[in-house]
Amino acid sequence: MKAPKFPQQVISLAIIFAILLGGLIAARILLVPKSFGKYGHYRADAADEVASLDIKYAGYKACLECHDDIYVIKEKSNHRGLSCEVCHGAAAKHIEAPDEFVPDAPRGRGYCPLCHGYNPSRPTGFPQIITLQHNPGKPCMTCHNPHNPLLPHSPEECSACHREIASQKRVSHHSSLPCEKCHTVPARHTTDPRSALPKKPTTREFCGGCHDKNAASPKEIPRIELASHGGRYLCWECHYPHHPEAK
Amino acid sequence: MESMIASAVSALQDFTGYIYPNEYELHWELLIVVYPYLTGLVAGAFILASLERVFNVKELQPVYRLSLLSALAFLFVAPLPLLAHLGHPERSLEMFLTPHTKSAMAMFGFVYAWYLMVVLLLEIWFDYRKSMVIWSREKKGMMGFIYRILTLGATDISESSLRFDDKVGKAITIIGIPSAFLLHGYVGFIFGSIKANPWWSSVLMPIVFLFSAIVSGIALILALYMITTMFRFKEISMPCLNKLAELLIYAMIVDFSLELLDFIQRLYESEESINILSHMISSRLFISLIISQIILGSLVPMISLIWARFGRLPVEMRRIVYFIAALLVQVGIFSTRWNVVIGGQLFSKSLRGLTVYKIELFGFEGLLTTCFFLLLPFAILYVLTKLLPPWIIDEKDIKPAEAQVS
Ligand code: HEC
Ligand code: HEC
Ligand code: HEC
Ligand code: HEC
Ligand code: HEC
Ligand code: HEC
Ligand code: HEC
Ligand code: HEC
Repeated sequence: MKAPKFPQQVISLAIIFAILLGGLIAARILLVPKSFGKYGHYRADAADEVASLDIKYAGYKACLECHDDIYVIKEKSNHRGLSCEVCHGAAAKHIEAPDEFVPDAPRGRGYCPLCHGYNPSRPTGFPQIITLQHNPGKPCMTCHNPHNPLLPHSPEECSACHREIASQKRVSHHSSLPCEKCHTVPARHTTDPRSALPKKPTTREFCGGCHDKNAASPKEIPRIELASHGGRYLCWECHYPHHPEAK
Repeated sequence: MESMIASAVSALQDFTGYIYPNEYELHWELLIVVYPYLTGLVAGAFILASLERVFNVKELQPVYRLSLLSALAFLFVAPLPLLAHLGHPERSLEMFLTPHTKSAMAMFGFVYAWYLMVVLLLEIWFDYRKSMVIWSREKKGMMGFIYRILTLGATDISESSLRFDDKVGKAITIIGIPSAFLLHGYVGFIFGSIKANPWWSSVLMPIVFLFSAIVSGIALILALYMITTMFRFKEISMPCLNKLAELLIYAMIVDFSLELLDFIQRLYESEESINILSHMISSRLFISLIISQIILGSLVPMISLIWARFGRLPVEMRRIVYFIAALLVQVGIFSTRWNVVIGGQLFSKSLRGLTVYKIELFGFEGLLTTCFFLLLPFAILYVLTKLLPPWIIDEKDIKPAEAQVS
């Protein structure tokens, strides 16, 4: 009888594992791209490949050369932040051959609501409409110039730009309070909002004006002890002013 | 009455409160519920098997091989729901070729491969080697050929060689226990480390997952053992069954207390999420958490198991209670997975609203696929038991042991 140094089992298994390991190493050599890991956990050549793709966009400055009229108007308008090709699509080919390739202009009603349709996650102050209710049937261009979307007249409602706040307030305990009760709004705010911001309440006494025990306000308003209620924190650190809850 | 039903139905279908637009739909659906459920069964069945092997719990001998094979059958299926969910299953291979050590999800491939190759397959191979060598000599034709391949040419079944098998088997089991913990603890880790989700983010998560895995594994083997012996018209080993029931009770008590601890801690901490979470529990998760997980899946089986194990019951009755309890535990653990995976996505990160989840029937992530993945392990197990019959041992070894007890 031989006294095997390595039992038979170990040898068989060693072969199997060697094959598997070899397979993995071979697969890595064959399949992992050469440039993988050069810069990070990705294929470095991918960057070069992307760089070598055809350029599709020209950039808005390229349009100045021939469409300076539109360029100048737009630069001063509220759409100044938008690049031309956001609306007109990639136009690098148009620069090379202006007559052969003419970019599309989105004239339908479906396009502008991509940005301006009401969506609660859009930032406050961003002009939004409910598309189905806003002058239905007519294309946006009949009333708004896309290159200078100056409003025909300033919006009557704050909800035009603060719809999320307005619709929260509408179903809240504060629904009866107009926005102007708490905010003094300069007239310019509705036409050029950022140049003239409204004032916001700053003190606890402001809310106390209606809610304090001794305040001279309608009886049905719930009262608190202004001096002690909520400690020294501002009221809106606990109550959202546009949808106050007492829980 | 009709209007009541109508309003109940519409209430069910509606979102409540405020939800961010990207939260209406759930991204992790039914398949992701199935995945932790299956891996839990794997880990649980394996840990049960290791009790016999490492801690010498002799009563469990009849289910030792059955647990190993079930663990293997379920392990084969465990990653399939993930692959089906991926949409591009072939890309999963990338994580082996270009391992990303900082991503827990990417490292799963290695945890899985380690567990499959180094723990389960090896242990089963060493355990069955002697039988396979014998079968390869006895069986003719195709089967004999298959067994010859399965022995991998290691046909030495001398005394010393078998002793070596036994030693290595034991060593693998010892490595296997932490590996099984890793396999399932990992699943809990993935959920527990999502900081932004108050329902998931908890250090207890891996531990709770582990114990629920042990519970589900033991209950599965208990039920499988009863069914398989019944269909083979053999006598059930009552000591084994009693031991299984006992272990199940202990595991359930630990599991239940852990979850209770987690719950009380959350209540006491009372973070800002507590309102929406309690709202979710009392509305969306009422059936799956309170009724299915806690009452039907934990309390009822726990009490009835204690009653059947330690009360005075006729043997026949006892078996029936064990069996029903084991099935209820499966329902309970599946609900646990459901509550973790689906529950964690039902409430808005704004903590102000709840969405709804509707299961689809057809489709890649639908009910039918799910049922398929839940039944597939049993089909695989059937094939495995035909190939590697796990019952050899009980015929000759158990009868005397049983005679001693009764
Ligand atoms: C080299 C000069 C030139 C440059 C640079 C140029 N265009 Fe033009 N563009 C033209 C000419 C010429 C026409 C008229 C073509 C016609 O009507 O056949 C035109 C027409 C258009 C139209 C009209 C389409 C319509 O439906 O009426 C659009 C939109 C347009 N250009 C967008 C752009 C944009 C965006 C850029 C910048 C990326 C740009 N162009 C840069 C020369 C130029
Ligand atoms: C907000 C989207 C938007 C942006 C940004 C925009 N356009 Fe337009 N543009 C349109 C629409 C819509 C029309 C079609 C107007 C119409 O038919 O009345 C149009 C029409 C045109 C035309 C056709 C001639 C005309 O006046 O009707 C030209 C040329 C043009 N745009 C160039 C430009 C250039 C150059 C810029 C960048 C400086 C630009 N556009 C930025 C939406 C946009
Ligand atoms: C890519 C997004 C985008 C698209 C597409 C877009 N807009 Fe705008 N729009 C803006 C931005 C940004 C503002 C500036 C908002 C601000 O001042 O905060 C704005 C402002 C406006 C205003 C308000 C101007 C004011 O004086 O308050 C109107 C009206 C308007 N756009 C109409 C349109 C129309 C009509 C279209 C379709 C041709 C359109 N927008 C397409 C982004 C877009
Ligand atoms: C019949 C003319 C008309 C049409 C068509 C029209 N608008 Fe307006 N739009 C107005 C007027 C007038 C205002 C200004 C104040 C108001 O009524 O709120 C306005 C205001 C807006 C505002 C500022 C927010 C607000 O509610 O005041 C946006 C954004 C806007 N429109 C986008 C669009 C878009 C996008 C379309 C196309 C789907 C469109 N409009 C079609 C007349 C029109
Ligand atoms: C044309 C759009 C528009 C209209 C109409 C509008 N706002 Fe605004 N509002 C804005 C924008 C843009 C901001 C700046 C948001 C930002 O920078 O975050 C703003 C900011 C504010 C702020 C916050 C100021 C601060 O310091 O943070 C208040 C308060 C406010 N608006 C109140 C109102 C009220 C009340 C009305 C109705 C009388 C109104 N706004 C109408 C666009 C509008
Ligand atoms: C009960 C008084 C009250 C009323 C009514 C009210 N606000 Fe305010 N609003 C506040 C207070 C207080 C703040 C400051 C909150 C803060 O600083 O966190 C504020 C902040 C704001 C802001 C800036 C912060 C933010 O949440 O975006 C805007 C915009 C605003 N209000 C718009 C409105 C509009 C539009 C209305 C009417 C629909 C309105 N508010 C009605 C009290 C009020
Ligand atoms: C012009 C008077 C007025 C002012 C100023 C005012 N409120 Fe109110 N408040 C009311 C009225 C009216 C109610 C509703 C009473 C009712 O529901 O019948 C109310 C209700 C409330 C409630 C109770 C909600 C509930 O669930 O019962 C809270 C909280 C509250 N306001 C907080 C505030 C805060 C914070 C401020 C300061 C930003 C403030 N209020 C400023 C008039 C006012
Ligand atoms: C530290 C958080 C906190 C602050 C700060 C705070 N509140 Fe409250 N407020 C609460 C809580 C909590 C409740 C509900 C329980 C209660 O009635 O005390 C409440 C209730 C109320 C109610 C309803 C009372 C009733 O009887 O229904 C009003 C009105 C109110 N607060 C107004 C205010 C005003 C005005 C201020 C600022 C001077 C303020 N709160 C500051 C936490 C706060």
